[in-house]
Amino acid sequence: MPTLTHELDCELKLVLTQTKSIKGIFLQLAPIRGTFEGQSKRWWIIFIVIIGGSLSLVVSLILLAINSNSGLGVHVVTANIIIGLIILYSDIVRKRVVKYKLLSQRLSILLIAGISGVIAIITMGLSIFFIPAAWIEFFGAVFFGGFVVGIILIFLYEGFPILNVYKSSGWITIAGFLIVSAIIYMTVVAEWIVPYDPFTLNVGPLLGPPTPQFPLGTTSLGQDLLSRTIAGGAIMLQVAFVSVIICFSIGVPLGLFASYRGGIIDNTVSLIMNAIFAFPGLILAIAIAAILGPGVVNMALAIAVVYIPSYFRVVRSRVITVKELPYVEASVALGGSEGAIVSRYILPNVIPSAIVVMSINFADAILVAAGLTFVGLGLPIDVPDWGWDLTFGSHQLITGAWWVITFPGLMIVILALGFALIGEGLNEILTPKLEKGV
Amino acid sequence: MIEVKNLVKYFPVQKGFMDALFTREKDFVKAVDDVSFKIEKGEIFGLAGESGSGKTTVGRLCVRLTPATSGEIIFEGQDITKIKGKQLRLLKRRLQITFQDPTSSLNPRMTIGNAIADALRLQNIGTRTEQRKQTEDALERVGLSPASAFYDRYPHQLSGGQRQRVIFARAFILRPAFVVTDEPVAMVDVSIRAQILNLMRDLQKELDLTYLYITHDLATARHICDRIGIMYLGKFFEIADSRAIYENALHPYTVGLMSAIPVPDPKAEKSEAIPTGEIPSPINPPPGCRFHPRCPRAFERCPKEEPELLLVEKNHWVACHLYSD
Amino acid sequence: MTNLLQIENLSVEYKTRRGIARAVDNVFLNLEENKTLGLAGESGCGKSTLGLSIMRLVPHPGRINEGKILFNLDESLIFEGGSVEKGQIDLMQLDDNQMRAIRGRKLAYIFQDPMTSLNPLIRIGDHFTEIIQAHEEDVKKDEAINRGEEILETLGILPERITDYPHQFSGGMRQRVMIGLGIALRPRLLIADEPTTALDVIVEAQILDELATLKKQFNLSMLLITHNLGVLAQTADDIAIMYTGRVMEIAKTESLFEDPKHPYTQCLLKAVPDVRKPDKTLAWIAGAPPDLIDPIPGCMFRPRCEFAMEICATQPPPLEKLDTGQRVACYLYTKGVSKK
Repeated sequence: MPTLTHELDCELKLVLTQTKSIKGIFLQLAPIRGTFEGQSKRWWIIFIVIIGGSLSLVVSLILLAINSNSGLGVHVVTANIIIGLIILYSDIVRKRVVKYKLLSQRLSILLIAGISGVIAIITMGLSIFFIPAAWIEFFGAVFFGGFVVGIILIFLYEGFPILNVYKSSGWITIAGFLIVSAIIYMTVVAEWIVPYDPFTLNVGPLLGPPTPQFPLGTTSLGQDLLSRTIAGGAIMLQVAFVSVIICFSIGVPLGLFASYRGGIIDNTVSLIMNAIFAFPGLILAIAIAAILGPGVVNMALAIAVVYIPSYFRVVRSRVITVKELPYVEASVALGGSEGAIVSRYILPNVIPSAIVVMSINFADAILVAAGLTFVGLGLPIDVPDWGWDLTFGSHQLITGAWWVITFPGLMIVILALGFALIGEGLNEILTPKLEKGV
Repeated sequence: MIEVKNLVKYFPVQKGFMDALFTREKDFVKAVDDVSFKIEKGEIFGLAGESGSGKTTVGRLCVRLTPATSGEIIFEGQDITKIKGKQLRLLKRRLQITFQDPTSSLNPRMTIGNAIADALRLQNIGTRTEQRKQTEDALERVGLSPASAFYDRYPHQLSGGQRQRVIFARAFILRPAFVVTDEPVAMVDVSIRAQILNLMRDLQKELDLTYLYITHDLATARHICDRIGIMYLGKFFEIADSRAIYENALHPYTVGLMSAIPVPDPKAEKSEAIPTGEIPSPINPPPGCRFHPRCPRAFERCPKEEPELLLVEKNHWVACHLYSD
Repeated sequence: MTNLLQIENLSVEYKTRRGIARAVDNVFLNLEENKTLGLAGESGCGKSTLGLSIMRLVPHPGRINEGKILFNLDESLIFEGGSVEKGQIDLMQLDDNQMRAIRGRKLAYIFQDPMTSLNPLIRIGDHFTEIIQAHEEDVKKDEAINRGEEILETLGILPERITDYPHQFSGGMRQRVMIGLGIALRPRLLIADEPTTALDVIVEAQILDELATLKKQFNLSMLLITHNLGVLAQTADDIAIMYTGRVMEIAKTESLFEDPKHPYTQCLLKAVPDVRKPDKTLAWIAGAPPDLIDPIPGCMFRPRCEFAMEICATQPPPLEKLDTGQRVACYLYTKGVSKK
């Protein structure tokens, strides 16, 4: 291969094998173009419009809410931004510290943790002092909101230069991350920035169209739709996170050990997994949710059962490739025990693929969760949730009340889009990296 | 040192669903088909042949990386094909193997220091500091000095030759007695091959090793092997001292193999005896002598009867009907 | 004899995350008609990049920076939406469509790995049809298959196997099919990038023989890229030795093997084993080539060279023609430089 450095070597090999295997070099009469690297102008325009639209919708919801919020909304958001900046600054300091070799890379993470802890204690003290009645909620919103802002800032500061190298796939990841974290932020501080209590009935007219007082209109029960849209993400996100954690912690180890052992165990587990996989996902989830009854954990379980096979299959195919690699065989020849080989040699090579599935799983989980609540299987009726609003809205649509269904629906799409973008981008970025050393 | 008796390895062929349904008998890839040989202590035994000859499988069987179908491998007085569990783990300290591709033989996510020290960790030998000490010694011994400069580097930061040295360091840190090296210089640049071969020789003297050197490259095998065995479709065709193989090759296949090697001399005469065709599938090897369809000197006895490996000269074994009388 | 291919001052750079690597650095090469030029060097010397840049197929992070690739076109090519005039043309000046018309029809490329270069889902015959029809639209399918059968026959493959799928062929057979596809449109120049490296010695010898026959039969010129000097000794007319993206020495095959001039060539030849000279002691070159991303000034071989002088550290030695006909890039042969 053409160049000296191994890094380059592998990159080249990758490009060559990709193009070769896709078309065969003689049949491939056009010069080689990177798959994601050089996108057309049109692609970029569509990308910017969709991402910009989604992001600005979320941000404008937050701003609208703060604008008409009569309580502590502005203060909470200001406090969040200050805390976020402090965390960003501590990361910059951390980088300096590492640069001058005062601390190792790993220990320096403790620096951020320490500073965050100090902030947590200070905010906790302040919130107990000022709002003794609801200090836990207040502290949660201020500190975790600040933390999310901090993570967004650190991500932009540190991740941006790295991801920028990957051109369009890097931008996709950045966009997905921004959308998801904006919605998470919105959910965390929801309670303090909403103009009205999302549960309270008859704060406005029944099924009123958008007006300056109720920017997104009201529901058929007279609730403020803006407040409900802002607060409605919480359940969705909880369900998604819990189900992904369950899937990940069952699917990955199962795939690892079954396919590493091979033989009859592998065959049996694969058979079960394929059987689940063959079932239509949403219907299976509905059936399980119907058996388990309503609730966040039950909903998460129902979704998890549907998605465990995806992890299993991805992990399995990866393990089967990796376990034949010479360096894994070398560790077998060195007499390593099974556990040591799996955890030290195979797992690190499997995790990136699993992470890609995870981010796609997030997007799917959100859609399934919305579907479950939409058919009425997810949650008790008094919870603000996009799925519920969709159900009610669909009943009212016939009267011309388009707003009740539009905004929660858009939020579901945007959140799913955010996770899907992260998945897509990470897939582009991590997969070639995996091939690198191989 | 190591004695292989009637070693057989068949790999079952994966069949399609319909085939499996309608045919009872299973097909096998006869990778190693009834092979016997002996390697003396302190010897470098070369195993040469084309791809598909089963030479790599023999190597893997000798270090118990693949279980044998039948036959015996006697190492230090015991048959290692039947050993299991803890004993097998201890046995693996005495037997080592290195693979062809130095790049994929190292975990890209592990520093080379960790990769070598991991050999000790996997066998639970020593404390962390002892492991580090031993690893640094091993790095120095294979010529990667100063060891501390190499310890924390990643494989992609090294050149191909350096990576091959790391692999030797990892294989030798457990102080094995018998090492299988599978094409150690095939992926290394020509300009440093001799250096790697010298390193192998030095390590052999220092650590009192025995090698099984697997190769397809007879031109370099000459420079390191004491004896060479030529394999074809899972069988030995010829085993002799290295000098005898080069100067007095008896089996027509060996002669063909030697004549096909490109000679770096534009004035060299073109060899005429290049065998036609390619190595057939090891699922259904030709009857009788497996080489007879390609052999320029085949006669009527060859397709009927399988030749045995016979001693025709001093230390020179050949499996060919031309020499069987 | 006219030059079929003339490369002038060609440089190719790869942009990586660590920096810019010059994989091909100021290369001048000539290939005469009906000759074989061997391009030899160790891994990472830029020989494959050079081959790919002639096809203008340098993969993504790489870019041809400067230079001319002059190709002597024997006939004008007319295709949908454009044409290429005959005569000496600079491939660097052509647009994508023109380049596409030349690729396959006048320039052919054979990759090292025959296993992944064929589409496993379509028959060998369809490979032929597809490539022939891509350039000559009026050719019927039967005619294309007939041509394919003829070519397979010259390569020692039974013509009826044209209906087989690639997986039914062995590695050697597949490489033969690749070569067959390469010459299906009677190109003028065949660039073979390590065509036999993935194959066993016996098959390698067979294929090299067949390539030599084809070259005669089709009036081909060949650029044979390989790391194996033994292969070149048997097949090439001229050999260019590359190191870290630069050409170190170009000479007739006989003079290169008999009287290598550049210290690197000398060392390389001492390191090549020869099965007919069993008592040859193999030498090696200590050290490794410098990092292309962080190149050293002057001659890149200097740190490994036993004849290194002060001047070697100043700037890269130019490729100069000696009285004996070789062209060498080394200050040992530059007049007016004092030898130590």
